[in-house]
Amino acid sequence: MSDWRRIDIDAFDPDSRLTAEDLIPSYDRQITLEELQPKMQQLRTLSSGGDTRNAIHLITQDPPYSADDNTKDLYFQVVLETLCQVRQVDIANIVKELNTEQQVVLVKYLYKGMSLPEGQKQGGILLAWFEKLTQSNGITPIVHYLSDRRNV
Amino acid sequence: MDKAVVSIFKLIKAPIYSHCLSQDKSLLAITCENKCLIYKINPASKTPQLVATLDNHDKTVTAVDISIHGRIVTCSQDRNAYVWEPLSDGTYRPTLVLLRINRAATCVSWAPNGYKFAVGSSARIIAVCYYEQENNWWVSKHIKKPIKSTINSLSWHYNGVLLASGGTDGFMRIFSGFIKGLDSKEIMANSPWGSKFPFGTLVREQYCGGAYIHDVQWRSNVEKVAFVTHDGTLNILDYQGTLQSVNSPDGLPYKSLLWVNDHEILCAGYNCHPTMFSESSQGWKFSRDYDKVAVSNILKDSSNNLNTNPSNQQFNNSLNNDNVNDDENPTFGISALKKFKELDLKGKVSLEQKEGAHENTIVGLIPFVESNGQITQVSSCGLDGKVVIYNI
Repeated sequence: MSDWRRIDIDAFDPDSRLTAEDLIPSYDRQITLEELQPKMQQLRTLSSGGDTRNAIHLITQDPPYSADDNTKDLYFQVVLETLCQVRQVDIANIVKELNTEQQVVLVKYLYKGMSLPEGQKQGGILLAWFEKLTQSNGITPIVHYLSDRRNV
Repeated sequence: MDKAVVSIFKLIKAPIYSHCLSQDKSLLAITCENKCLIYKINPASKTPQLVATLDNHDKTVTAVDISIHGRIVTCSQDRNAYVWEPLSDGTYRPTLVLLRINRAATCVSWAPNGYKFAVGSSARIIAVCYYEQENNWWVSKHIKKPIKSTINSLSWHYNGVLLASGGTDGFMRIFSGFIKGLDSKEIMANSPWGSKFPFGTLVREQYCGGAYIHDVQWRSNVEKVAFVTHDGTLNILDYQGTLQSVNSPDGLPYKSLLWVNDHEILCAGYNCHPTMFSESSQGWKFSRDYDKVAVSNILKDSSNNLNTNPSNQQFNNSLNNDNVNDDENPTFGISALKKFKELDLKGKVSLEQKEGAHENTIVGLIPFVESNGQITQVSSCGLDGKVVIYNI
């Protein structure tokens, strides 16, 4: 009687297949690495100049959702460097200045960092960001992150 | 018990996925496993009286709705829907509706005029069904494109043509459910949503990051549609395409929403109590909670209890310090900690711990008492098998 669960009811209906692409939002156009270079350069300048506050604001605004995975990874290296440049004492204040959308973007980068070996080397710093974020905003940015299909 | 709670009906030992009331609020229908139970609400006796059991489905019943004429429609994971015609002796005569879908039916909604209904399904199909006199048969017409995933919720505009839907593909869509011979074109003459509405037309589409949409509801007279998503937001869309989003104050998503009047929406979901949002000149904002378990009092109690035990003094201080640091979110993780401390110290959970009326997720909200476009009492159903009436 339980066998009906194993019947592939879509076998003869190719139209009803749900592919992974169907679930990713479609973008009008893909942003390229060349277009992102100026922003990456600006980020490096800001964080090496010690202006980490503005660097974090820049990261969390208009993230390159439409870029391909390779570009996203290269861009993330710069983001990770910036996150690590921020002094521990400044984290709480910077987090408080971010609006809800920016916080969600920040959480996306934190989780991405934790999923990559280069981010895991900086795990302590990422967790410090995470702690301050949940202290000031509770679980709201995490719940947003969990159901958001636009990834960084 | 919070004074907003009017009555609590513990009806069954199974989750209630959907409930609804008859037009005159005398009958209550709930889903219970693969049955639908009909209760008579009697103001004199406190508990509703079971008057009928509709048990033709052979899988879980997912939704139930009652039309203005008293016809009941149920839909189920067995991929079928039944229309139950009330008979004079209090029983119901079922008619099977062939939906022609190959996956579970998930939600059902009668059009305001009671002559057609729409069923959402996991088969990426919305079936709009109406009765055909000459064949003595409920006909099902499909809306397929561009639905990409399961439909979770459906809502008819008061004009009976515009049908709002929300589902797991993250799109809130408005379709036309216009049926020739049943609906008149005149009713749509001055609609701000468009000019032509042949059956199945996609009138509007709204994407919000891809979160599951749990519930969607029209407010016809202000031409707005509201929906709640799994990222914990309430979203309101108007015909000009302006979308407003507001976050749930504790971060947990809502499963259900209800327009209380033109400027207030009640939401309820995973936090197990209703929350009101209201619209002012600055837009939509959280306004108040109903029947919220008062965690701050519990915390105070726990500090007092802990003070009597010197070894806990230091811990207690650190707990208070944490509260000062996290004053925006004092409840984070503390209630669970408190529970286990109580268990450790006394071998039981303290009695001061107040329980809300609902002990599990609320999945449905419907109007209970309504006057002049203002809802004053609502009824909610939850996965704890309860139906609760709240004063709003």
